[in-house]
This record gives sequence, C-alpha cells and structure tokens, in this order.
Amino acid sequence: MTTPTYTDFYTLLPYLILTVWACVLLLVDLFIPVGRKGITAFLAALGIAVTLGFSITQIGAESVGFSSMVALDGFSTFANILLLSSGLFGIALAYGYTQRFNMVRGEYYILLLFSVSGMMLMAQANDLIIVFLALELLSIPLYVLSAISRKLTSEESGVKYFLLGAFASGFVVYGTALIFGATGSTNLAAIFAQAAAGVTSGLLLTIGAALLLVGFGFKVAAAPFHMWTPDVYQGAPTSVTAFMAAGAKIAGFVALFRVFATAFPSLAPELTTILWALSAVTMILGNLTAISQTNIKRMLAYSAIAHAGYILMAFVPYGNAKVAPTAIAAGLFYLVAYAVSNFGSWGVVIALEKAEGKGLEIEDYAGLAKKYPALAAAMTVFMLSLIGFPPTLGMVGKFYLFRSALAGGFPGLALIGLVTSLLSAYYYLRVVVNMYMKEGDPEIEREPWLALTTGFTAIATVVVSFVPQFLFMLAYTAVMR
Amino acid sequence: MTGAQIIFIVVALYTLGSALMVVTTRNLIHAALWLVSTLFGVAVTYALMNANFIAVVQVVVYIGAIAILFIFAVMLTRKDMRDSGPQMNKNWWLGALVAVLVFAGLAFMLSGWSGFSKVAADLPSGFDSVSLLGEALVSPQAYVLPFEVASVLLLAALVGAVYVAFNRK
Repeated sequence: MTTPTYTDFYTLLPYLILTVWACVLLLVDLFIPVGRKGITAFLAALGIAVTLGFSITQIGAESVGFSSMVALDGFSTFANILLLSSGLFGIALAYGYTQRFNMVRGEYYILLLFSVSGMMLMAQANDLIIVFLALELLSIPLYVLSAISRKLTSEESGVKYFLLGAFASGFVVYGTALIFGATGSTNLAAIFAQAAAGVTSGLLLTIGAALLLVGFGFKVAAAPFHMWTPDVYQGAPTSVTAFMAAGAKIAGFVALFRVFATAFPSLAPELTTILWALSAVTMILGNLTAISQTNIKRMLAYSAIAHAGYILMAFVPYGNAKVAPTAIAAGLFYLVAYAVSNFGSWGVVIALEKAEGKGLEIEDYAGLAKKYPALAAAMTVFMLSLIGFPPTLGMVGKFYLFRSALAGGFPGLALIGLVTSLLSAYYYLRVVVNMYMKEGDPEIEREPWLALTTGFTAIATVVVSFVPQFLFMLAYTAVMR
Repeated sequence: MTGAQIIFIVVALYTLGSALMVVTTRNLIHAALWLVSTLFGVAVTYALMNANFIAVVQVVVYIGAIAILFIFAVMLTRKDMRDSGPQMNKNWWLGALVAVLVFAGLAFMLSGWSGFSKVAADLPSGFDSVSLLGEALVSPQAYVLPFEVASVLLLAALVGAVYVAFNRK
C-alpha cells in the first residue's frame, strides 16, 4: 500500500482545488441568508478564478498521475483555461438573470462548479473509466440546472436532457466494456499498444469506438444525435443554456480528441469516413433547420448544432500524423472562437428576455439599433462571427478549419462547410436586419455583469481576429505538447 | 456428476423458473417478489463460483435495496395492488424469437471459446478477494481516483436530486 505522490496531486491540481472549493461552498452556502445569495455567486467565481490562476501556472507542465489515469499536458491546460473562463462567463450571465427571474439559489453556482470540475476532469482523462465518470460529473449538474427554474418548460427541458443523456451514457459504458473486452484495458495508451500489437479483436474494438462516438456525439450535439438540443436549449434558463452550449461542447470535443488520437489511431481508416459523414450531416442539417426558426433560442440551438459540425471537421484527418496537429489546433481555435461568440450572443438574448418567455422572438429585436446602438453593434459582431464574416474571430476560425480540411485531403468537406456558411448568413443576418432596418421599441435589462460579459466578448471577437496567429500558436503548442 | 454440479443445476433451474414467473405472473407485487427469488438464485450461483463477496453484494444491493425499491414504487404509485391486465402483448412471440436467437448466437460464440470446455484452476490457498478488492479501491496504483470521483459525482447527484424533489413553494 502506497500513498499518492506529489506528482499525482500536481497533475490533477486544478480539478482538486475546484472540487474541494465546491464541497466547502456547499456547506458555506447554508449560512448565507436567502436574500444574499450573491455572496455564493461571488465565492464560486472566486474559486474558479483561483483555479484559473493555478491552471495558468501549469502552462508547459507535463505529467501523468494516479497510474496514468489522468494526464496533464499542454492540451489539457489549454482546455482547462478555456473551461474555467466559460465557468466565469456562466456565473456572470447567471448573476443578474437569476435575480430577475426569481430563481436565486445557492445550488445554482455549486452545481455549476461541479459541472466545470467534471469538464476539466474530462479534458485530463486518460482512462475510459475516468472519461465516463467525468462525463457523468459534468452532465448530472447540467440536467438539474436545466430544470432549475420551476417553470414547466424548464422542467420539461431537464427531464428530456436527463433521459436522452442517460441513454447516451449507456452507449459510452457499452463502448467502454467492448473496448475492455477487446484489449483488456481501459487505459488509452494501453488500448493503443494492444491494438498496435494486433492481439485484439478488431471488430469489437471498432464497435466499441463507434459506440463511444455516439455518446460523445450526443454531448456535443452532432447530428444525428442532436434531437434533444433545440428543446433543451429553449426550455432551460438562458444563463444555463449559454454555459451548457459552450462548456459541454468544449469538454465533449476535447475528450473526443484525446480518446481517439491516443487510443484509436489504428482505426483511422474506418473512423475517418464516419467522422466525415457526421461532420457533413451536422453542418447541413443544423444550418438548414435553423433557417426556419423564428425563436432566437431555437435558432441559436440549431446554430450550436451546425457549429458542432464545423468543429468535427477538425477531427476528420486525426489519423494523419502530418495534418492532425494543425487540424486539431484549428479545432481548439474554433472552440475558443465559438465559446466567445456564444457567450456574447446569449448575453444579448438575456438582455432582451422578459418574463413568461417573452422577448425571445427574432421580431422582438426590431429597432434595437436606434435605441441601444452599442448592444445592437455587439450582437452584429456575434452574428458575423457565427457566420464567419471578417473582421471576426469566427472568420479566422473557419479559415483555419477549411485550410486543415484541404490539407488533409477532404476538399468536399471544406466545400460543404463553405456553402453551409453562406447559407447560414441568411438566418444570422435576419437578426441584424431586424435590429437595423425595422421599427420597434425593445426594452432591455441593464445589468453590470451582463454588460461587461457582452462588451468583453464583442471586443475580444474583433480584436483577437487581427492577431489570430498568437492564439493559433497557443493552440498549436498545446497540441504539440 | 459431482455434488457441486448437481447443486448448480438445481440452482440454475430454480433461478430460471423464478425469472419465468417474473414475466408471466399477473400480479405486479408477486412479480417483484419472484424477482427477489431470481436475484437470490443468482447470488447462490456467484457463491458456487467462489465469488463470495459478489454474492454478498448481490444480496445486499439487489435484494436489499433495488427489489425493495421496486415494491415500494409499486405500492406508492398504484391504488390497487391486484393488477389484472395481461402480461403479454401481441408481440410476445417476436420478443421470444429475439431472445432465442440471441441465446443461440451467444452459445455458438462461446462454444468456440477455449474457456468454455476447460475447468478453471483452483484459487491459491489464502486468496482473499475482498481485501484485494478493498486495496485496489484505495490504492493510487489502482482505482482510488475513480473511487473518489464517483463519490463526488454521487454528492453532486444528491444535491441535484434533493433540489429537484424538494418543493420550495
């Protein structure tokens, strides 16, 4: 019997800090009076900020811990920083929103912390057991958060998400079991070694990997596993939707990449075709369905599906050692671009949302530019970024993605991406047209944290797009380890 | 035929018979009780295979908690305990066909496996599966991390479940 070493703890340090903080906050929250739950929000944000600080000190560090069940490398640190920032934005958006809609609960922030910790563990997971546990740790708080406002739509959203999510988790467990049966291990590196040695049953391994792909496909809302997305995104409180759309997507993609690139390079010939088809179907379906939406939350939900397709594009050449690092770095870059535009656009939606689900139709944005020019300008930036129009982060991200698809030898996929991006201009620009060219008298909520988030993300979307090389190099170094 | 084999056959028949009763009996409470009996048969099978710890867990978790939970759920959600609806719908033959096909397929696959016709070696004397399992769960070389993460996961699920179930109106 031995004790965990310093390396074990150091590898998992950000996750451990956040988990302990969440558990302590659970107790502290009991002593915070009902009217002053803002303190819980502040403490939760402080916990994330402290963890973020430690995560930043880990840039460049590499280690494995707990008999290589978790790994710390550039990739996981990049993902951790991105996830923790998402958590901060999630709290900033929730602070005013929960007060306005009378759903101030300390549990909100605690569950959010647990969810972020699950996402971080997912980014560091180097063993399928940990992948599964992390997946549950990030999902279960999200199910509850979806149902946290006691409205019927919110509860429906929570139940739908829970049932379909549990179903998807079943696929992950089954896939893990088959992979264990084929290789005798759940450790990603050991699975790769077994597969490379050729002692495994190839069929079992392939089926197992495909089942894992189904489970992750559900989490990142890729077609054809996307059915839950519009209903859940629409029914859940908007602040939860914003966090869920960014966080779950980042965690799902990061884990997908680590699992597939570490354990299944030998399956690349089969899986590349599957990933190609998934990516294409997701882009086409998401964008086509978004066109007919009139509700902004549903439209952004279909847009989230479409963007899962674009990010999947980065995974298609994962077996090609020459192209994969650039492609994955492009995927990471796009995740950052998407997360920033995502939080900004959901922030604007929150600003315009009224009680009883009013203020959520695209028509409600008519006249916004005349009355609140700054907010309309910010929304325009986010819409342009989601289309992939210069000068925004989304445009640079799409450029990197399409370039890596071409370099990987998938011009068809890049073409589909380009055409669907043009298509998407129709429904994104409809919001802009409503804001600038139609008459209306919208009312917005003025909340400092909301304004800060929206303003910050809008400025970041534009400014970083002029120096994208800096962010891309960060992503590239992270992937190269 | 050795004594152990005879006991195994008796237990297997008993388990299968109970399982058949679970799906055919008309009364829901009786079905739940037959399920308890089935799970007990499985526990005895584990014990016959020297998996004593799993046998105990089977009794404690499946019979002690899950089956009892079934009975509670039935009692709390049904007004009338005497459920008299038919247990079979018109697709029963399809289900039976799929079950037989899966069984045949698995039996065929397993018959080709070397372990199927081989008698397992005896465990070394002094082999203590419980302490090995316990050590594996708390050893950093084995499964301490999944073990601890699972407890955090359960805590999060507990907070969530209490929040959802607790009506604060």
